[in-house]
Amino acid sequence: MAKSASPPPVIELRDLHKRFGIGDAEHFAIDGIDLTIQKGEFIAIMGPSGCGKTTLLNVLGLLDNSIEGEYLLNGKPIASLSQRRKAKIRSEEIGFVFQSFNLISRLNVIDNVALPLIYKGMSKLKREKKASKILHDFHLGEREFYMPSQLSGGQMQRVAIARALVNEPSIILADEPTGNLDSHASHIIMEELSDLHQKGNTIIMVTHNPNLTTYASRVITMLDGKVDTDTFRLPLPARESTKKPLGNTTKKKLARKKKDTK
Amino acid sequence: MRFLFLIHLQNARQSIKSNRLRSFLTMVGITIGVASITTIMALSAGANKIVSTQVDALGGNIAVVRPGAPTNDAFSQLAGDHQFAASTLTDIDVASIKDIEHVSAVAPLMVIGGAVSGNSDAPANTPIVATTPELQAVSNIQIADGQFLDPNLIASTAVIGPQLSVNLFGTEHSIGQTIRVKGEPFTIIGVMKRTNSPINYNNVDFDNAVLINLESGRALNQGSSHLQQINVQSDSVTHLTSVITTINKTLLRNHLNEVDFAVLSGTQVAQPTSRIFTAIAGVSVAIAAISLIVGGVGIMNIMLVSVAERTREIGIRKALGASNRDIVAQFLIESLVLSIGGGVAGYLLGYAVAFAISTFLTFDPILNWEVAGVAIGVSLIIGTLFGIYPAIRAARRDPISALRQYE
Repeated sequence: MAKSASPPPVIELRDLHKRFGIGDAEHFAIDGIDLTIQKGEFIAIMGPSGCGKTTLLNVLGLLDNSIEGEYLLNGKPIASLSQRRKAKIRSEEIGFVFQSFNLISRLNVIDNVALPLIYKGMSKLKREKKASKILHDFHLGEREFYMPSQLSGGQMQRVAIARALVNEPSIILADEPTGNLDSHASHIIMEELSDLHQKGNTIIMVTHNPNLTTYASRVITMLDGKVDTDTFRLPLPARESTKKPLGNTTKKKLARKKKDTK
Repeated sequence: MRFLFLIHLQNARQSIKSNRLRSFLTMVGITIGVASITTIMALSAGANKIVSTQVDALGGNIAVVRPGAPTNDAFSQLAGDHQFAASTLTDIDVASIKDIEHVSAVAPLMVIGGAVSGNSDAPANTPIVATTPELQAVSNIQIADGQFLDPNLIASTAVIGPQLSVNLFGTEHSIGQTIRVKGEPFTIIGVMKRTNSPINYNNVDFDNAVLINLESGRALNQGSSHLQQINVQSDSVTHLTSVITTINKTLLRNHLNEVDFAVLSGTQVAQPTSRIFTAIAGVSVAIAAISLIVGGVGIMNIMLVSVAERTREIGIRKALGASNRDIVAQFLIESLVLSIGGGVAGYLLGYAVAFAISTFLTFDPILNWEVAGVAIGVSLIIGTLFGIYPAIRAARRDPISALRQYE
């Protein structure tokens, strides 16, 4: 691959189709999506039930293997990757946050958070240190040895987010992360996600709640397996890279500005 | 990878802990199978050992000639195909073995059946052994009281075992008493020391036996010899091999080139005695193997349930970066922990049972690495064999539908 000045988009979909059923029952959950997602975007995907939002998220998270069309992750096509390689990518680059938290009920909080680190082959001590640190960041330090059933919904989701982040993934996929939470807990969760966005993570979130789109930098609505609308909101940190590379003057200016704000 | 193994081990421990009763019951199946194998192996090894240690204790310079062609088939021996056949060994054979160089002692054994009585009657199957004085040296027979057989004394003398002495006269001091062997009177000139070893390479329980001179034996057997065994002692261990070769040659010539005898030494001597144990052990091991298979099916069953229960967990793990291989390893290691746990428990239980049984027997079970190896090996194989299918099934779960379960 030739080195271009701008890095390849994190995710690039070309004419993506996902078919369910065969013969008469055949239908497309995703029916031709072209999408480019740059590093650092916070995308909210909206749409009615059954429009293919979750399916799209599963495809993006490499959980769904039988797709038609092209999917480039960090500029590389995933079609040619082996299952093992995909598992490695999931382990290193992708963090999942689910609507129903999906904590393993027989493991305590710290073991749940340390779970992704297992598959990176990290030792027990290192895993627990890292999981403990991230739990502290999420103000859950005192809950390390609680079982998931002893936590509130908001706490469980924070644990789930901590688990999604413990690997330091570049992409976070959240499937209705606030779907099971009240508005107060939702707000806290969204603040956390927003924080992560500020730190430069790419976040793709599926949601039903239009209020939450205010946190996003880009809102995509889907209908019948297609992208219906695609709106960018300000500020748009991700758009910098879609344009031409920055000139030296601009870079210096930006750097100075950053310094000042610090 | 090393870490992963440890993690899966911790994981398995956790999941087994969270289902204590279920895991325990699953293990019991394997425990019973391995325990029975361990018991059988430990006891039969003990039985084998007892004879070979006796042979070793004699200095390793003993060879035994037995009638009948050599056979390795335990079951034909069990059927007792030679029990009633006339022995192929003759007095001429004894004489020619005596003449072989480096042979220091030869003791023919002629076991006769018949009634023995003193003040009271002896048990019906009291062995009457007609032999020569050399048996004392060859088989290291200790005399507690009196003397061993001596052909220079009058023919009708006998040496008896201490238990027989008690049975006949109520005391171990029965020298000078008269016993009747097949109706003929014999004077007791010696009582043997108690050995407590009914299983030995002579196939005679000396504690309960009557020893008489070979001549008297012949007289009680219509004047003919019927030798069950000839014990040969060479003058040193190093000469035993050459002695055996020469015995073979000599006897072949005596028997007109027909191999109707077997010259045995060392552990071979123990074989006919241990054959019955080998045969019993073989049958019991087969039964134990069936119980192991049933135990394995139990493991497979429980693992399939476990996989079904944890479908969602599998989905989560896959989403968090577990590869198919990780999932296979997780469930395989769990079934191995079950089976090896059961195996170790079975090994210990098996020895406990073996020691309990041995209190009723005259020998102790043997602790050796072979039994441990078989116990662990068998449970390893069972765990893998019956754990691999559920594990592969778990790994093949589609993560999306797995995550959707019970939602």
